[in-house]
Amino acid sequence: MRNYLAFLKKEIYEYTKTYKLLIMLMVFAVFGITNPLVAKLLPEILGSLKTEGIIMTLPEATAYDAWTQFFKNATQMGLIVMVILFSPVLSSELSRGTLINMLTKGLSRTVVILSKYTCMVVVWTISIALCFGLTYGYTVYLFPAGETANLLFSTFCLWMFGLFLLATLLLAATLTKSNYGCLLITGAVVVACMLVNIIPAAHRYNPISLATDNMGLITDDIEVSSLYCTILISCLLSFLFLTISVLIFRKKQV
Amino acid sequence: MGILEIHQLSKRFGRHEVLNGLDMDVPEHSVFGFVGQNGAGKTTTMKIVLGLLKPDSGSVTVCGEKVAYGETKTNRNIGFLPDVPEFYGYMNPMEYLKLCGEITGLTKVKIKLRSEELLSLVGLKDQKKKISGFSRGMKQRLGIAQALLNEPKLLICDEPTSALDPIGRKEILDILLAVKGKTTVVFSTHILSDVERVCDRIAVLHSGKLALHGTLSEIKESHRHNGFVLEFSSDMEASLFENTEELKQPSISMSRNGNTVTALVTDHDMGGHLLLGVLSQKRIVPLKFAVMEPTLESLFMEVVQ
Repeated sequence: MRNYLAFLKKEIYEYTKTYKLLIMLMVFAVFGITNPLVAKLLPEILGSLKTEGIIMTLPEATAYDAWTQFFKNATQMGLIVMVILFSPVLSSELSRGTLINMLTKGLSRTVVILSKYTCMVVVWTISIALCFGLTYGYTVYLFPAGETANLLFSTFCLWMFGLFLLATLLLAATLTKSNYGCLLITGAVVVACMLVNIIPAAHRYNPISLATDNMGLITDDIEVSSLYCTILISCLLSFLFLTISVLIFRKKQV
Repeated sequence: MGILEIHQLSKRFGRHEVLNGLDMDVPEHSVFGFVGQNGAGKTTTMKIVLGLLKPDSGSVTVCGEKVAYGETKTNRNIGFLPDVPEFYGYMNPMEYLKLCGEITGLTKVKIKLRSEELLSLVGLKDQKKKISGFSRGMKQRLGIAQALLNEPKLLICDEPTSALDPIGRKEILDILLAVKGKTTVVFSTHILSDVERVCDRIAVLHSGKLALHGTLSEIKESHRHNGFVLEFSSDMEASLFENTEELKQPSISMSRNGNTVTALVTDHDMGGHLLLGVLSQKRIVPLKFAVMEPTLESLFMEVVQ
């Protein structure tokens, strides 16, 4: 436990000192601010482009548009930035050999994996919370009339998918030596999830539904209860991936 | 019982056999020089001792405890200095030692005390800048400090002096000598003069096995050729001596290089008396008359060829 806290502290310190935390926070803060803003301004920008002869009917922007932006940005660019930033999580330490000093000091390999996962989860949680908070604040300010359903639950689903993705990333990192290999495997898993989603019956059990059903949830088109099973499966898979990562890393030649 | 015992260790990478039934025993409180050519398997052996590599067969015990590959408890008794130590570049030395101390489980007070003590031992006491700006020699010295932090019973250094300038090398060797009383030091190198300066025992690794091992004097004793080296003040004296009729016999073989004559004899005492007799009879006073000592270099060459 002592080791875990010491190494976690080092991980967090590392993310601050190498500006990774800053980049994550900045990216998500920019999304948070621009989501409602883009929703508000887009009809006006398009309206100003109106030329004669073309008739455009633009609907009034609503809070839904702001949240559409939020879920679109966070699930696409946000997750991509996160995965790229976190992909050297093990490879940088292994290729440079910084971990050797720690391991020969008696640091357990299980602790290495668990504290790295914890740190990534912490950074992801702060980032998504920041983005959510900013979008929420501006949306309430810009669209006072807007009402949305299941907003917190929908965001929770997205957060849950982040945890699953990070567990996948860590497993990929223990399997390969380079961060490109790690990116490749993580990307392959996401693509595989997307392909599986083509089968309607698989939709309920596929973790990626947590990142694709968000809009349906806030418009109340999708039942909250339909995702319970997905959440459970994502939790189990994340746990499984983490366990496998620990087992592999314990036997890895460094 | 030795502090580090290696028994019948074998390791191959693909088709390349690195270690082939290596046996080694390091007694406590010695400075143990582990010598071998590049690629002889020194680093591999050390990594197996640290549980970082998996041996194909054989066993290693540290302080009587068996080393297990992967997670090993034996590392708490070991301090390790890698050949090119790498640190978290964004930390300064004090922060790094604090992290190391927390990981080994030292108390806060102890960490502070030990860090200051060690940083002054390695001459980095007032160094506040980040490790990323350190020179190779400074990193090497910080490496020793981190390796000694938990007061290990066994300090393993992988070629600690190979890439350093003469001053840096001297400093590292002095530090190793300074810790000798408290801990057992195993250090690998291919710089033989370093071995002669600090080691009391050596082992030469060649083709996966120990080709030579023992204390330095033991090894030299067992590989001594009976012979004498004579140095004369002039070429004339040297040739006069070399061409003496009495010395032209099968039990003596002579060779000359400038003013120096080397005489190999079958019997140390008899040969010595004979040579001295000839000198006295010819009324030659040599500049030097010495028993031929094998150098570590010649021994090394002998076993690796």
